[in-house]
Amino acid sequence: MRVPLSWLRDHVDVDLDPAVLAERLTLLGMEVKSIERWGAEWRSVVVGELLTVESHPRADRLSLTTVTVGAGEPLRIVCGATNIAPGQRVPVALPGAVLPGERRIERTEKMGVVSEGMLCSGDELQLTTDADGILILPAETPLGADLSDLYGDVVLDVDVKPNRGDALSLVGLAREVSAITGAPVRSPAVTLDEVDPEVARRLRVVVEEPALCTRFVGRWVTGVTVGPSPDLVQMRLRAAGMRPVSNVVDASNYVMLEIGKPTHAFDARAVHDGTIVVRRARAGERLETLDHVDRALDPETLIIADPAGPIGIAGVMGGAGSEVSESTTDVVVESAIFDPVSIRRTGQRYALRSEASLRFEKGQDVPTARIGADRVAALIVAWSGGSVLRGRVDTDPREPGPSRVAFRPARVERLLGTTRTAAGQRALLARVGVATEDAPDGTPVVVAAGPDPLVVQPAEEAVVALVPTWRRDILIEADVAEEIARVGGYDAVPTRTPETLMPAFRPSPLGVRDAIREALVGVGFTEVVTHALVAPRSLVDLPWPDDTEVPAGEAASGGRLVTVRNPLSQQHSVLRQHLPASLLDVLVVNERHGAERVAVFEVGKGYAADGPRAREWWRVAFLLAGHAEPSAWNRPARAADLDDAKGVVEVVAERLGLEPVTFEPDRRGMPFHPGRAARVTARLAASGGPRPTGFVMAEGDLTVSGHVAELHPSVAERWELRTPRVLLAELAVAGLGGGTLDPARARPLPRFQAVDRDLAVVVAEDIPAAAVVEAARRAAGDLLREIRLFDVYRGAPLDEREKSVAIRFVLQAADRTLTDAEVEAIAAGIASALGAEVGGRIRT
Amino acid sequence: MDLATMTAQLERLRADALAAVAAAADPAGLDAVQLEFLGRKGALTEVLRGIGGLPAEDRPRVGAVANDVREVVEAAIAAHGVDLRGAAMAARLAAEAVDVTTPGRRIARGTRHPVAETIAAIDEVFGRFGFVVFEGPEIEDDVTNFQMLNIPSDHPARDLWDTLYVDIPDHLLRTHTSPGQIRVMRETRPPIRALLPGRCFRYEAVDASHGFEFHQVEGLMVDEGTSLADLRGLLDEFAHALFGAGRATRFRPGYYPFTEPSVAFDVGCVVCDGVGCPACGRSGWMTILGAGMVHPVVLRNGGIDPETYQGFAFGMGVERIAMLRHGIHDLRLFMEGDLRFLGQFR
Ligand SMILES: [Zn+2]
Repeated sequence: MRVPLSWLRDHVDVDLDPAVLAERLTLLGMEVKSIERWGAEWRSVVVGELLTVESHPRADRLSLTTVTVGAGEPLRIVCGATNIAPGQRVPVALPGAVLPGERRIERTEKMGVVSEGMLCSGDELQLTTDADGILILPAETPLGADLSDLYGDVVLDVDVKPNRGDALSLVGLAREVSAITGAPVRSPAVTLDEVDPEVARRLRVVVEEPALCTRFVGRWVTGVTVGPSPDLVQMRLRAAGMRPVSNVVDASNYVMLEIGKPTHAFDARAVHDGTIVVRRARAGERLETLDHVDRALDPETLIIADPAGPIGIAGVMGGAGSEVSESTTDVVVESAIFDPVSIRRTGQRYALRSEASLRFEKGQDVPTARIGADRVAALIVAWSGGSVLRGRVDTDPREPGPSRVAFRPARVERLLGTTRTAAGQRALLARVGVATEDAPDGTPVVVAAGPDPLVVQPAEEAVVALVPTWRRDILIEADVAEEIARVGGYDAVPTRTPETLMPAFRPSPLGVRDAIREALVGVGFTEVVTHALVAPRSLVDLPWPDDTEVPAGEAASGGRLVTVRNPLSQQHSVLRQHLPASLLDVLVVNERHGAERVAVFEVGKGYAADGPRAREWWRVAFLLAGHAEPSAWNRPARAADLDDAKGVVEVVAERLGLEPVTFEPDRRGMPFHPGRAARVTARLAASGGPRPTGFVMAEGDLTVSGHVAELHPSVAERWELRTPRVLLAELAVAGLGGGTLDPARARPLPRFQAVDRDLAVVVAEDIPAAAVVEAARRAAGDLLREIRLFDVYRGAPLDEREKSVAIRFVLQAADRTLTDAEVEAIAAGIASALGAEVGGRIRT
Repeated sequence: MDLATMTAQLERLRADALAAVAAAADPAGLDAVQLEFLGRKGALTEVLRGIGGLPAEDRPRVGAVANDVREVVEAAIAAHGVDLRGAAMAARLAAEAVDVTTPGRRIARGTRHPVAETIAAIDEVFGRFGFVVFEGPEIEDDVTNFQMLNIPSDHPARDLWDTLYVDIPDHLLRTHTSPGQIRVMRETRPPIRALLPGRCFRYEAVDASHGFEFHQVEGLMVDEGTSLADLRGLLDEFAHALFGAGRATRFRPGYYPFTEPSVAFDVGCVVCDGVGCPACGRSGWMTILGAGMVHPVVLRNGGIDPETYQGFAFGMGVERIAMLRHGIHDLRLFMEGDLRFLGQFR
């Protein structure tokens, strides 16, 4: 709500500096978003008086004027307007002046005559809408005065919250100022000289939907002359952010801003039989609205009609056919109370939300239906001439008194943590027009309203607040508490640290996620957070598999895609099910900036629909592309490959207390390189690991699963990646959705010497290295401490369909140093197992 | 062999050995000298072999001379050895010198995302006041996201949250973390101190300070006497923890349908320290969160009796807090994944 201070002063005295007023209003809950100096744009625009007006010697359309601005020689100014005459006072832009829109005025030559400035129209000053004529100022306007001193204003932009529809008006905000300063509020006085006949003889109103239109007040103004509003009115409307239209329409808008009551003016000629019907639209009915859009009306829509059909959409916008125009002589003023929900739905249905509908949506103060009708009629007469027919048509003249809201002063103190007396609370309420009285015995207190209210019989002192009709936001005790706090100032609330009971400990659901973050950051990966809403395209461009078993307690991926019904753009219209496509986008962004190494990870969610329910799951994904190790001045960079990515998976698993990780070939191909993709599994080790909250897990249970792979080259091409090899992984981890990490278990340090042996075994090319290691591991028995692959050799003297896998195993006993014979026996056992299980022969 | 001859031999040996020691150019040469003169088959042993031919009374005298020769030569070898090892070490160190002004070999390192880091910072402050973390779903139902929070359908307050709806009946992308309040209240009993971090969504055009995806942290505290004063005290502690102990704070009325009274909480502008600048709209203040006493209707929807219990809730935008803490001026940077940006949060 834009509030011109000069207009606000009509309704309450304001002695505060605008900045102070703005701060005080903000502290009262009426947040002032900005303070605008209206007219600050005008520089060197002063009041002048026309001395002479002659026609230009060389141009018929131009006039040659002399103007005095008080001091100095009269100025010779060329002017194109025709509404000027000697003796008038007008705004003069002197050479060097600047007008709105950064328009600079200089001495110019117009058709051979030098013009020493410019006479301004209301439009050029953005004061009125008149662009044709010069703005003629009142005769008493002081000569030479700076225009910004005379018409400049300060406009506060107040953010009125949805519960305070009453403050969407100057009178409403004047009440807030009054709460601050104690200055009385001046409501506009309405005096009408009414003429016969009775309005009821001309106008009949039938409300067919009394639930949606609880009150309709009609007035009739006859004999009007439609034209522009007075300049002051136009200036005020402009400053308040509304476009002046005509004296009749402006009267309606002026009253809406003044007292918050939207009204509508119909050309009486367009109201057939002088009959207005408030009803729902009928199937097939159409209406051209004021914005000249022909609309098919939905049968839910509440409309204003006459016997011939619709003439307006109730509370939202009038019809073009009944618009007030220059030929209008008689005006019907509608001032009604409509159901807020109905108006809101209608506004949304037609994507038509006006200043009027925004106020209707927030509810209306019932008496303003009458006051608004009277005030609009009075202003039409004042600004357009004519006279008001006697009386009103009023479908429900009953007006409610203040509502009664009981509260317990002690309970208010308990809520606020303050120590005010009941009398102190009552004095604060009085500042916003809320009178109070002692609650009679047995007065119930409403703690919670609604269809199933909570009402209590107070055991302590209670007071009844008499809430004025415009404050529809004060319904229950807590509302009264807020009003007391607000008027008393939130600054009066003491600062305390809580000393109440502590809740029971609860492990953080973020524990496993944080551990993984820490591990990945430690190995040089940067965390990214990308959009969950993605383009449907990305699912096709990077189809990630859903066929992995996931750890207990974690949700499987896949399912029906969740689509946004009202997306901002196609780019962000579906909820992702996997993270890697988002990481590819990150790669693209960073390739564009010339990054040599992109190592990023995200801990995020996938989403799907399961019938009427939604499903979400957590995953961790990472991408590695470019340099695995950065170059140094004396060492070249090393390009990343799948082994780097697998190493990262192993680091994560180690951080979670899990060893070893199993990589199995995944030859599905797209989106993976068919020869460079692995399924990842890790299982709960005896030494502990991650556990989802609420799940008991046993040694050997799945804790990590997913894929690590090099991206298929054709996918890389489709994404137009510059980096030749891109490594991607997505993992499901036990406890990622919320779980704990078991503490690592310590093992006693070995006291006896460990023995290591290397073994090279020749196997067929298609035997995975992991199978060789696993077979050796099983055969080694309890004394095995560590086993790892350290070389794979191909070439002479081996057959070309063979490879040699070199394994190092470490044997150690807890109670003795192993003898050579024991070690040889184990090595022989491994050798024979390798022969039997993977067809391997020991190479010597 | 007589005493004089033998003594003369030993004296010569001493002179030869000392000359050889002095001539040794490196530790290996010195070892050879040692071996040549003093070794088991060395010159000294050779000379002493003739001691048996001397009269018994002369033998101790020759022994004394021989011992003296051994000691003198050993001392000379030791002394010369120290010189030689020192020279060798000096030569090696000189050869191994590098240009220390070259840059260190870079080790790739990662960074946490400022959103995650900020959530952790918020969590740490409130965690010390006994707040524990809960989470709720991001695809939320209309009932929990709005209706349970005292925001009926068709309520004008819905304008405060422009909503993205999904193709699951009555479901939407949560517009705030506040529905978590309902979930926490239904899951636990007072005393409640809960913190709810998470991703939120709005139908909002993207610019430097708005996004359609962002993160919030919600807080909820409910007990018998938890008051607006407790809220104010806690928020002051929070502001001081995150923005410095001297940071001014402002506690003023706000509006949310699910709190009554409602609060807007400001800190002194982190750019101008309250003087007034474009960043704070010249007010000197920056709003960092909204809060209030939980509305009685919301407590009831959470299964808590508002006549016995009362409490407060607060909600803050994580990106907003991160922007103020780190001097970030464009919200879009958070989700772009530009490493030039993310790499700054070490
Ligand atoms: Zn500032």
